[in-house]
Amino acid sequence: MTTLHATVNGKPVEVPIEPQVLLVDLLRGPLRLTGTHVGCDTTQCGACTVLVDGESVKSCTMLAIQAEGRAITTIEGLAQDGAMHPVQEAFIACHGLQCGFCTPGMIMAATCLLSKNPKPSEAQIVHGLEGNICRCTGYVNIVESVRTAAAAMAKEAA
Amino acid sequence: MSSVLEASRFGSGKTVRRIEDPALVAGKGQFTDDLNRPDQTHLVFLRSPYAHARIVSVDASAALAMPGVLAVYSGADLVQAGVKPIAAPIPFPRPDGKPAATELRHGLAPEVARYVGEAVAAVVAETLEQARAAVDAVMIDYEDLGSVIDPVRAIAPGAPVICPAAPDNIAAQMRHGDAAAADAAFARAAHTVALDIVNQRLAPSPMEPRVALMEVNAEGRLIVQISNQMPTAVRDTLAACVPGPSQENIRVLVGDVGGGFGMKGGPHPEDIVLAHAALSLKRPVKWCAQRIEEFLSAAAGRDQVTHCQMALDADGKVLALRVKTLANVGAYGTMAGVLIPLLVGPWVTTSIYDIPTIDLHLSAVLCNTAPTGAYRGAGRPEAIYIVERLMDAAAREMKLDPAELRRRNMIRPEQMPYTNPMAQVYDTGQFEKMLDQGLALADWNGFDARRAETEKKGLLRGRGIATFLEWTGGGALQESVTVDIKPDGFIDLICATQGMGQGIATSYAQLAVDTFGVPIERIRVLLGDTDRANGFGSAGSRSLFTAGAAVKIASDKTIEHAKGLAAEALEAPAADIEYVAGRFSVAGTDLGIGLFELAGKQAGAHIAVSGDSTAAAPSWPNACHVCEVEIDPGTGGVEIVAYASVNDIGRVVSPTIVRGQIEGGAVQGIGQALCENVVYDPETGQLLTASFMDYAMPRADVFKGFKTVFDTSVPCLTNALGAKGVGELGTIGATPAVVNAVVDALAHAGLGRDAERVQMPLTGERVWRALKGEFAGPVFG
Repeated sequence: MTTLHATVNGKPVEVPIEPQVLLVDLLRGPLRLTGTHVGCDTTQCGACTVLVDGESVKSCTMLAIQAEGRAITTIEGLAQDGAMHPVQEAFIACHGLQCGFCTPGMIMAATCLLSKNPKPSEAQIVHGLEGNICRCTGYVNIVESVRTAAAAMAKEAA
Repeated sequence: MSSVLEASRFGSGKTVRRIEDPALVAGKGQFTDDLNRPDQTHLVFLRSPYAHARIVSVDASAALAMPGVLAVYSGADLVQAGVKPIAAPIPFPRPDGKPAATELRHGLAPEVARYVGEAVAAVVAETLEQARAAVDAVMIDYEDLGSVIDPVRAIAPGAPVICPAAPDNIAAQMRHGDAAAADAAFARAAHTVALDIVNQRLAPSPMEPRVALMEVNAEGRLIVQISNQMPTAVRDTLAACVPGPSQENIRVLVGDVGGGFGMKGGPHPEDIVLAHAALSLKRPVKWCAQRIEEFLSAAAGRDQVTHCQMALDADGKVLALRVKTLANVGAYGTMAGVLIPLLVGPWVTTSIYDIPTIDLHLSAVLCNTAPTGAYRGAGRPEAIYIVERLMDAAAREMKLDPAELRRRNMIRPEQMPYTNPMAQVYDTGQFEKMLDQGLALADWNGFDARRAETEKKGLLRGRGIATFLEWTGGGALQESVTVDIKPDGFIDLICATQGMGQGIATSYAQLAVDTFGVPIERIRVLLGDTDRANGFGSAGSRSLFTAGAAVKIASDKTIEHAKGLAAEALEAPAADIEYVAGRFSVAGTDLGIGLFELAGKQAGAHIAVSGDSTAAAPSWPNACHVCEVEIDPGTGGVEIVAYASVNDIGRVVSPTIVRGQIEGGAVQGIGQALCENVVYDPETGQLLTASFMDYAMPRADVFKGFKTVFDTSVPCLTNALGAKGVGELGTIGATPAVVNAVVDALAHAGLGRDAERVQMPLTGERVWRALKGEFAGPVFG
């Protein structure tokens, strides 16, 4: 057992963990952040995507102790002061989700993409989501959601 | 804005934000694996590494001695404890006239494992890690019985026998139609075409794997939390299989469901084991399937091989269809797995065409693979794919425009109601109108110019069409909904149908807004609780036109009932009571009382009224889908460059949701056409596609976008809403539209009729080989 010190959704956490525990299991288990989902066993589906120091990471394939001293953002930490993040807003507005199981991972991947490339082309959006699988929507509305979020964020920034 | 106008913005037909979404985008959904109980234990399955093997011995002693292990179960243990297998009352005969033959599915295989991945033992431990470690220590000796995973080989003499009552491995067989009439039609036909068709096995793959958490509560009831489309079926099956609790002593609760697609329609054998463990150990027991378990043991879709023929007269009028199909239903025939190829598909085999004669010869074959079940479309995609491929083949044979050949055969509006050769009655359908709109939307006549542009890039271009209908309703057309007005300002709708991502709660809420005239935030939709409501569940694109109709009927009844209560409260004649937007008033006065205030004055402080709806018949949505593809001859890679569809879906309650259903469904159909394929090793029966690394799901780059049009001018005549089910329409149309486009491109590239020999999935390799003249052999060898 070791102790992990990290920042999760803006709050410092200090939690005892076994060294073999995966980040996703720490989030879903002891930290009770169940918005991060597990949809596969092989790092393919992306439902578990979170941000680690702003980089999108599949939390099923990172050990929790690798997050020592780092800042983790999960879907629960995206809204600020009770207001949804523009990407969350856009997914609702564009019907970018159906069952919602892949959605947290999609939103985190999209948020990471937009933080680095505020005006992505369609091809760049598709490329940015290549690590995330959705079975319901057919992706069209997800791509539209990201495009809409980019426009909203550009407007906010202006 | 008045409250009436405000509310009307959210009624049926309006584009609204889904009521499901705020929680889901915030990570606050309540999926079953998000639930945890104090004192919870974890169950892990041991699965057969053999495709067909006798279980000689099970030694659990080492596993039982490991830390945290609470129990180890074998199949024999379950039988000894009185746990029963799942009944399979399959209503079809075998070729010898005897009843359908299959071994029954036990929670854990007691004597013989019949496919790779069948659960043979289970370990329950304090933690998941302990259970996983201990399951590796369960020692099982097997005697390999030899396996067969291909239905053509399974029915050949000498194949391993999977069920002794079916020595030919045929679980059941049906012939439909008139073979002699078909022979005569083929004899006098001016043109005949024949095709070999493979509808390959698919993995439904909702992103949320199967998951359940079961426990016995303080009153001794079994509480089942599960991700499922059919809560009542789960309850009833568990009551039938697990000794102890009656139906009334089982409560099934369903929270958010991360996709179902038919696969989560009712219990799987694993759920029986979980119930038994929870009852035996008196501790909460959780099982969450890993993705590999979904590939190994969740119900699979499709898996049919077909030889089919079409006979036409000199004018292109179809005289007869012949279809011979072997459906691999897996190692156990399930009700859905056998019904789908033997009856549901045949219901739509002649589709929207006025085809007088059919001769269908359909066999459900046992093979050493996971059993099949419902998967989005369930029989209709396979049948429509057959007839739409034949239509294109016939058009090519006759050198006719494929749209024109279809037009010549379409059932005309004046023929409605129309009875097809399977005795199915279509209430409505203006198929030629959909065709004309679809051709216009796709700019059908401008194709040659687009092909020329594509060819300048050194690529091939093809165009495919599918005009079709489908049967909806799941064979269960009755639903009951309770409206419960609460004094705290909410209207609860209590329904037995189930949300699984399709957004059905939003659609129901919109229908309730129509009647009550209150903001949509005042409506709460309560699903997934067998203590509150029971029924067939959500499958077969049935929910809106059955339970949605019941929402409307129950809401109208509630207003009528509450008018009487308001009359009492206001001491006025009932005939003078008016209801507008949440308020009853006495006509011509300023006397009135709010709906919710009125509820608070009643005994029990609420007003609850139930309403039933029974649709008189299935609905028959139909559509014209047109697809264009570009193919790189250097790689065989197929890109969908245009996709247009016009869909006759009757009344639309939630336009956004309907569009999402059709387009999302179409991408699943595209998945079958281009990439998805469950593959077993033919010699060993090992599953070769057991992860998303090997099973190719459509990704965000699958294509550019849709042009989707609804035609709502032809309401369904057999349900109270006029709606037609839309959950599966896109999936059914997309597969033939895409494949027809690829075949068109290959035929135009010089392959001619040979192009029709390609089989799904049309991967780059297969298309590239086809361009070199390399094809798989005939399906029946």
